[in-house]
Amino acid sequence: MASLTLPKHSIPSLLPTQTLSPRHSLFSHNLPIISNSSQSQFYGLKVSYSSSLSIPSSSSSSVKGSIFAKVNKGTVPPSFTLKDQDGKNVSLSKFKGKPVVVYFYPADETPGCTKQACAFRDSYEKFKKAGAEVVGISGDDPSSHKAFAKKYKLPFTLLSDEGNNVRKDWGVPSDLFGTLPGRQTYVLDKNGVVQLIYNNQFQPEKHIDETLKLLQNL
Amino acid sequence: MITSPPNYPILTDPSWRSTWAHRALVACGSIMVLISLAKAIMGAAKLHLWFEPILVGLVGHVLADLMTGVYHWGIDNYGSASTPIFGSQIDGFQRHHKWPWTITRIEFASLSQVVAPAVTFTVLPMVLASNDPILHAFVAVCSGCIMLSLKIHAWAHTTKSQIPPLVIALQDMRLLVSPSKHANHHRPPYNNNYCMVSGVWNELLDKHQVFKALEMILFSKLGWRPRSWSETSSNWTEDTESQGLFNPSTIQAMD
Repeated sequence: MASLTLPKHSIPSLLPTQTLSPRHSLFSHNLPIISNSSQSQFYGLKVSYSSSLSIPSSSSSSVKGSIFAKVNKGTVPPSFTLKDQDGKNVSLSKFKGKPVVVYFYPADETPGCTKQACAFRDSYEKFKKAGAEVVGISGDDPSSHKAFAKKYKLPFTLLSDEGNNVRKDWGVPSDLFGTLPGRQTYVLDKNGVVQLIYNNQFQPEKHIDETLKLLQNL
Repeated sequence: MITSPPNYPILTDPSWRSTWAHRALVACGSIMVLISLAKAIMGAAKLHLWFEPILVGLVGHVLADLMTGVYHWGIDNYGSASTPIFGSQIDGFQRHHKWPWTITRIEFASLSQVVAPAVTFTVLPMVLASNDPILHAFVAVCSGCIMLSLKIHAWAHTTKSQIPPLVIALQDMRLLVSPSKHANHHRPPYNNNYCMVSGVWNELLDKHQVFKALEMILFSKLGWRPRSWSETSSNWTEDTESQGLFNPSTIQAMD
């Protein structure tokens, strides 16, 4: 779904091209932010304030949004160092030289996040084959990540963004008027440049499909 | 004599029988609904209105369905038997999930006394403050549906041979929730089809994952984890082992 919230840094008015068909459902549609110059389209919700974060630079309506966006396609996101599920510090720079999928999710042990993590797990070989690494980030502490990873046999890194500072730095939009941490995935190429931003709160498995689609074309 | 294993419902569970206190509560609620209905009918007749009262009555019917859904979702997912005010209702709904058929054995007043106080105290001020027939058409239908909601729920668990033809007709017209639709709520993942009057909201609410969104918000903000997230919890699973022994239709056959 497209985000329904108004992050502090986004503008309140909707750009005309982002006003979406009322036929689209509230939660079940994607907001794929496929930042490809030949494909700048939005699906989903009427209220897509946070889509200002993800307006492709190629879109004619993108200018206002990109002024306020923290991380956009084509930019290098702010680096971070966070603890993983084993309590070790992991920096984003560790992954330079290979593509990396950084997915922000609301919380461990919630239905959507479990589905998403398990979907990444089940497709992990495909990500490896594409030479990519997968990193999940939420506000949970390392012990929560450890239990979550162990329970579902997750083969990838989970990082603890306690205080949600990285989430804020990257400008991950919240959903439902700020009440719910957003579910947004970034694909960085081997140079650390963002090539895809995908947001969908209630169809978590689609993150895997969209990111694999891009990785296979990178 | 049929002896029951511990915690299994016995065939004549005393809590299923109506007491005079139950009857008094239900009478109060029903009287409020009937007064509101009378005001609606008399006011509409006097003003020669028919379309508007019927329309708002339908709105009341639809809103009652939504209200029962929100209540049902809350009761099914949060709190416990020791929660103030709602504890006995939460326990009752949990037992209903384990032994769904028992709702068909609960006498009307014992069943409906759960909602009677809320109906009474909500409708009373409106009855006292207004004679507007449009308002009362809405209030009477909405509160009446809520007053009957648990019985409507019970009918959704009852075999056709044991419910009045009018009720069957209303179920077939989808004005009352049908057994086949409600049965989905009693199957994994137990987190849908919460609305209990007509069920008209269920498809929309489930398709758009409204309750899932609310669950995520409550978890995110308050740390409240809904019961429906624990898929393997025995709270949800119907106890089929006792069915053969305690199911009324089996007992009748044994007789």
